[in-house]
Amino acid sequence: MSRESRMRATINQRLTEKGERERLKELLRVKLTECGWKDQMKAHCKEVIKDKGLEHITVEDLVVEITPKGRALVPDSVKKELLQRIRAFLAQHAT
Amino acid sequence: MKMEEVSMSSLDNSKLEGLAQDILSDLVEDACLGLCFEVHRAVKQGYFFLDDTDQESMRDFEIVDQPGLDVFGQVYNQWKNKECVCPNCSRSIAASRFAPHLEKCLGMGRNSSRIANRRIVTGNNTNNKSESDQEDNDDVNDNDWSYGAEKKAKKRKSDKVLLIFFAEILQV
Repeated sequence: MSRESRMRATINQRLTEKGERERLKELLRVKLTECGWKDQMKAHCKEVIKDKGLEHITVEDLVVEITPKGRALVPDSVKKELLQRIRAFLAQHAT
Repeated sequence: MKMEEVSMSSLDNSKLEGLAQDILSDLVEDACLGLCFEVHRAVKQGYFFLDDTDQESMRDFEIVDQPGLDVFGQVYNQWKNKECVCPNCSRSIAASRFAPHLEKCLGMGRNSSRIANRRIVTGNNTNNKSESDQEDNDDVNDNDWSYGAEKKAKKRKSDKVLLIFFAEILQV
């Protein structure tokens, strides 16, 4: 394992240990609901389900259809805010 | 070597930024997966489409966005310029002033008793001069408890003082 990947692993571990990962997850969830992302995605899900059929839809189907669109639709402001917090955490714990 | 001892100082800024982006990417993916599971469960448990109704009903209850109407499509300033007739004094009152007027008119609001008290007191003050000879009118001279009367009396006195003062100044 290279030095860099060791450091990344350490950071990720610290992120989880300090509870920051959970807080960030919750923050992201709230922001995405507030900005309407969740409603948009739910509407897209309805399309997919109507397409594939209510009885036969699987988690895999949804993941494949939803995730790319979901990533693309996250507003820049939300990304910015999350990144700010992540950078702050890195600055604190990466030295 | 323990994990914690690894120094981070050799991670430069671009690598840190890359790491931050990766962490964000993980978090977004997590959110998407969470949504997929939530939706899938709703579908399998049968409550995913519960909030939908037929197209026609959806159109009936759509939010209204026209000037002069509220979101339900009702006119909201219809009664602005109407006038009502007071059942007590039979006067014609503007609609927006009707409730406060009724309060005073029927003697039921918070301030109506105070106004009534003040009227009684000023009534007493004017009665004082004409009925001071009658002995049987005891309560007329009973001004100890009515604060309002003293206030009015003092006010008149200070008014007189001011008038004299200004008069003297003007004469100069």
